[in-house]
Formats: sequence, structure tokens, C-alpha cells
Amino acid sequence: MAKRHDVYGTTDLPVLLPAAERLNRQAAAERVLGAPKLRLRAWHGLALAAVIVLWTSFVWAQADGAGNEQQESVISAIWRWLPVLLGGFVFNIAISFLSMGIGTVAGTLLGIMQISQVWPVRGSSWLVTQFFRNAPWLVLLFFCMFLLPFEFTVFGVTIPFPDWIKAVIGLALPVMANVSEIVRGAIQSIPSGQWEAAHSLAFSRWQILSQIILPQCVKRMLPPWMNLYAILTMATVLASVVGVGEVMTLTQRVLAAENRPEFLVPFYGFVMLLFFAYCYPIARTTQKLELRYAVKQ
Amino acid sequence: MQEIYEWFRWLNEATGINLTIVYDSYDRERMIDGFVNTIYLSLVCLGFSVIIGIVGAWLQGSPLKWTRRLVNGYIQLFRNTPPLVQMYFFFFALGSLMPRVENEWGIMEPILSNWHWAILSLSFFAGSFNVEIFRSGIEAVPKATVEAAEALGYNRLQTYVYVVLPLALRVCLPALNNNLVNLVKTTTLAYAIAVPEMLYVANQIWSDSLNVPEMMTFLLFAYVLLVGLLVMVMNKWERSMRLPGFGA
Amino acid sequence: MKTRILAAATALAASFAVGAPATADTLQNVMQSGTLTVGVKADYKPYGYLDSDGNIVGIEPDLAQDVADTLGVELELVAVVASNRMQFLDQGKIDVMIATMTDTAERREVVNILNPDYYSSGTNIMARKSTDFETWDDLEGAPVCGVQGAFYNRKTSQEFGAEIVGFTGTSEALNALRQGRCAAFVYDDSFLNSRLQEDQWSDYNMPLETIDDAPWGVAVKHGEDAMARFMSGMVVHWHTTGQIVELEKKYGIDPVPFTRKMHERYRGYIPEAKK
Repeated sequence: MAKRHDVYGTTDLPVLLPAAERLNRQAAAERVLGAPKLRLRAWHGLALAAVIVLWTSFVWAQADGAGNEQQESVISAIWRWLPVLLGGFVFNIAISFLSMGIGTVAGTLLGIMQISQVWPVRGSSWLVTQFFRNAPWLVLLFFCMFLLPFEFTVFGVTIPFPDWIKAVIGLALPVMANVSEIVRGAIQSIPSGQWEAAHSLAFSRWQILSQIILPQCVKRMLPPWMNLYAILTMATVLASVVGVGEVMTLTQRVLAAENRPEFLVPFYGFVMLLFFAYCYPIARTTQKLELRYAVKQ
Repeated sequence: MQEIYEWFRWLNEATGINLTIVYDSYDRERMIDGFVNTIYLSLVCLGFSVIIGIVGAWLQGSPLKWTRRLVNGYIQLFRNTPPLVQMYFFFFALGSLMPRVENEWGIMEPILSNWHWAILSLSFFAGSFNVEIFRSGIEAVPKATVEAAEALGYNRLQTYVYVVLPLALRVCLPALNNNLVNLVKTTTLAYAIAVPEMLYVANQIWSDSLNVPEMMTFLLFAYVLLVGLLVMVMNKWERSMRLPGFGA
Repeated sequence: MKTRILAAATALAASFAVGAPATADTLQNVMQSGTLTVGVKADYKPYGYLDSDGNIVGIEPDLAQDVADTLGVELELVAVVASNRMQFLDQGKIDVMIATMTDTAERREVVNILNPDYYSSGTNIMARKSTDFETWDDLEGAPVCGVQGAFYNRKTSQEFGAEIVGFTGTSEALNALRQGRCAAFVYDDSFLNSRLQEDQWSDYNMPLETIDDAPWGVAVKHGEDAMARFMSGMVVHWHTTGQIVELEKKYGIDPVPFTRKMHERYRGYIPEAKK
């Protein structure tokens, strides 16, 4: 099982061009991540903004055509609702930070457990990882939303458990599974000679892991980890389906309050733009880091 | 069969575990339909996304700058916005601009239904990833191999069909399979535009019977099994297609 | 004002007289913390919807405000949806629920739905005037939009043979109806009525006879007897003073027969209410 994830070796036979190797490396990395990589350029954001402006003006023109001069334009409506929508978007970001934090801590532990020498630990952590990687994000979110209690009582202390925290946990579960695979892949990509060398220097297994292997892994894990973060951020809209007051939920409520169906397009477009504007710098940085670390490998 | 239904009815009365999808014929049929719909949606989108990938990869090799830019724009737009918002955008925005035909209820109905839009948006979403996968796969086939095929008297189409594609496909397979597995997980989003797939049906059932925990658990395991099975089949296929002399 | 205090005082007195249990109950907690948390809808214009400052407003938030004013505490509104409102109440996230909830026997098992009910609505469809639906059976085979989680979806498809196309919210379902994706939209007649009064829906009507006309109830958690009695008092007070009828007018909808009938019936309940 583990072998599949290794970076594919090279061959002397001129069967395929270097592109094949690159693709395979990318596939191996994506498999570890469980999701494809993002690639963004500045003009994509501009293009999206242009599309939305075009849409809004189109809708505006349509509204004019219908002879509803007294009706408010789409742009001023978006402007009026801007504080509400931005507030919702900040909530999305907060959810993504928390999920990423919890998922990373839990996933790192799970990933280290996956290379344990004790087979029950290895087996069970592998099972947990595969389970949460194979379950759709939306289903996991529903699961946490409906089946986690509203509050926990531990030793007489009642800890409230509002639904946004449930959403954080629901999103942290697939993040955990993906981080687990990133960590396992990174640890296994360090040449085994290092383990042997450290062993001969009388390092214990834990010392080798924490002082030699993991510090090297951080660099390799950073790009896929950031990519995972971008994917998580886009997945936070799923929380709207279960009623958390994030940007999509608010957009839907705004649309219900406005009750003007022609607003659906520009408002959803605006939500797309918000996400694009946020994910773009992350994707750029990821790309830069990838390039920088690729040279040193 | 009847005994099994009775047993589940008894289970509900005795323990409160209410699996209406087993003993209630209406819920059972709904859930079977939902399961079939999920499979159908996945298969159709798999097919279309592969076609989009192949065509897109071919267009990306076009000598015209604007064709390439258009394809790139499509890829970026679909990759970098939440697929749920895409689906709403497609269905409610583009959907309303479609030409309309009169249906049997005397209503001018847009020509593409929510099913069509779900298939379109999911296919284009997965397709945007497939384009780059296929392009890299085709690039990986050495010129010398193509030339050798030509020297053997293959024409362009034959070279493409018999030499380039089989090689490229094998190179792409791991990346392609990852993407297709993701696609099956993404079909749950079709729920938002009322396509009756498994999540949608489960939601209807727990609204009616107030049996959320049972339905949620069922749904989670159903998907994990479905996706797990797909991953297994894909890995087997991948191994059997592996190129000799290449890879570990 | 006088009647309000009187009604509330009656209710309060009643609740204390029967003896609040020794453990802290919801009403006591509310009085101590100074905050009343009420679950209302946020996508159900005009009963509960968002204004441009992001606040929830509407008939039900106004009623909730009245409750908080009577108790002399701050009001906190929580947006609920059909699929989570009873869980919220049960878990203690909200103290009281005034969220367009139909009073059914099954729901009474889960939460304490108070007597008397405060509102009423039935099920109807909204369709383009050009379609000729006359009875519910005409819907057979027709694609009908709905909102996921509504209890009549199943009935509409199982008994009348309609194909339910369920969306996540009302704005999506209305948009789908306008686009011609469904022949009709099945929902609460109170909601449909208020839509039909808007210009943009002038080509549509409610062609069928309203079925399953059922009252809406205010709900509290089972076992919260003090709160239940107090809220019952509030509902009686609303019917007595005709406050709900006034709110319907304030938000521009025709008072439904139920509220008018209840106002008529309760008008003489407290002598001072007669004017």
C-alpha cells in the first residue's frame, strides 16, 4: 500500500520524456493530499471581477428594460449589504483557521502513528485516515452538525457547543485525514539511510523522528499543507447547507429579504470573487515555496 | 423479505433505531433511486469530464493564442472558486438565460433541467483538472515514438489513437484516478439544486421520520464503502496498466 | 399597556403559585441573566427576515421583543430552520421558539407546544395563472418545487403524485418557479399569500383549496412549566389585544382568519381590553 505513494523512480530506458516523471511526481503528491493543486495568476481575479461587473450591468439593463426605474440597482444593493456579507466572510476565514489548526495537530499525530512499528497502532490509524479521506466533506459536516450534542458536561462544568464549532470539527476531520497522509508521505520520502545513520549514533527512534526527520519534513509538507488550506477555505461554504451563519447562509438570507430573483447572479458572483481574492495570494505563495524547495531537493 | 422488514420494524419499536429505508416501501424505493442516481450522476460526469479533458488538452495545444487563453481561463475559473457556488451560479444564472420550450403544463420551461446543470457543472469542474492531466500525459510521449509510428506507415489519426493515446493514458492514470475519486465525492453537492441523489433523499427521509442519526450513519458508511470500492478498482486497474520499465 | 402588565402578571403569578421546581428553570435563568433567547425564522418574509443591517426583523421578532419587554430583559434572537429548531430548544440553545412551527401531535412529543396557538396556515400551491390546476389531484406527474424539510412534501408526492423538487431555501424555490422549472410551488399559504401581494408575482395565484390548515404554536422545552405558563399567558394576551392582527397589518399582509377569529374570541377575556 505504502509503495504506491512513493515518488516514482527513474529509468534509463528512453520510454517517456521527463514530463512523465514530473506528472507522476505531481500525481503522487496529489494522492498524498487527496486533492489537486491550485494554480492562480493575477489576471484570473481581474477576469472574474470583470465577469461580475458585466453580469451586474446586464442585470441592471434588464431591470431598466422592464420599466422598474424605482428599483434599486444591483451595485447599490451589494454596497448596502457589504458589511453583512464581509462579516460572514470573516466568519468563514475564522472557521478555516480553527479547522486547519485542529486538523493539523490531530493529523500530525495520526500521520506519525501511521509509521508506528506496532501494527495495531499502524493499522487503526491507517483505517481512520482512509475512512475520513473517502467520506465526502458535506456528509461529514452533516454528521457532526446533527449528531454532536449542543453542550458537553464534564465534571459538572458545562461547555457550550454552538453549531459553528460543530462545523469547525466537521471540517477538521477530513483535514486531519489529509494532513495525516501528507505527514506520512513526507516522513517516508526522507531516505532510510538517515534513519540508519542516526541509529548507529545511538539516537532513539523518537529522537530521530523529532530531531532529524520531522524538521526536514516541514519544508516538504508546507506547499501541500497550504494547498489543503485553500481547499478547506473553499469548503467552508458547505457550512451554509447546515445553517451556520457564514457568507453563503447570509447571502441566501439577504436574497430572501430582497426577494428579487435577478439578484441571485451578482450576489453569488460576489461570493465567488471574495473567495478568489482570498485564495489567490495563498496559491501564489504556495507556488513560490514549491519552486524554492524543489531546487534544493 | 417480509421477515426482514418485520425485524426492522421490531427494531424500531424495541430500540428506537428507526431505519425506515428498510421497512417502509416508499422510503426504500426513494433510497434505492437515490443510490442509483448517485451512481448514474458519477458515471455520466466521469465520462463527460474525461471528454472535456481530452478536448481541452487538444485545444491547449492550439497555435491560436486566444484559444489557449480561453481554455486557461476556463481552467482557472473552475479550479479556484467553491464548487457549491459554481453550481448555484450555473443553475440559477446561466439556467435562466437558456431558450425555453413549452412543456405539458403550459409553462415555458428552460431547456436544461437541474439534472443537466448538475452534470454540466460537475463535469466542467472535474474536467478543468483533467485538461492539465491529459496535456502532461500527451507531452510525455516522445517525439521519436511518434516518428517511429509514422515511419511504419501510420497516418496522423492512427498514430494518435494507437500510439499516443494508449501511452498517454497510462502516464495519466494515477492523477486521473485521484481526480475521478474526488468527483464522486463532489456529486453530493448536486443536493443543493434538488437533484435526488443519496444525500438529498436521506435529507428528505430524516425530515419526514425525524431519524437523523440513523440516516446520517447510513449515509456516511454508504459513501465510504462506495468510494473505497472505487479506489480499490482504480488501483487494480492502475497496476495492470503500468508501463514496463517505468515507475517503481 | 395596562392589559399587558395584567396578563403577564397573571401568568407570572400562576407560574410561581404552582411552585417553580427547586432546580433553576429557564424562566429563572432568564430573569437572573437578564437575557431572553428566542428562536425565530430568518428566511420567511414577513414573519422573520433580515434587514439591511443584518438584524432579524418581522412579525415573530416583534412578538419576541414584546415577551422580553414584558419580562424587562434583553432580547437575543437566534435564526433557526425547520430542520434544527426543535433540537435547539431541546438542547437549551434557545429559551423559547416562535418560528412558524406547525403544531402537530408528533412534534408535541418532542417539545412542549403551548396552548393556545398563535397563528395558523395551511398548505397551498402557487402557480402561474395560465396553468389550470383545480384540485390537488391535478398535480399528478407535475414537477412541483418545495423547500426541503417541509412536512407536506411527502404527502404531495405520495398522495397526489407530484414530483417534488426540493430546494434548500425559499428564495431558491421561488426563483426556480419563476424560471419555469416547476409547474407550482408548494408551501405555507401564509408565506405564499404575502408573496402574491407583491407586484412581481402578479401573474401567479393560489388556485387550490388550502389543505391541512393547522395552527402554529409557540414552543418551550418539556418540563419548563414556569416558562410554559408564562408564554401561554403572553399568547392569550396577544389574542386579547389583537396585537398579531396589528402586526400583520404593519407588515402589509391580510390578517388570516385564524388571528381574527382568536381576537374575536378573546376580546372579552379581560374586561379592560374592550374599548
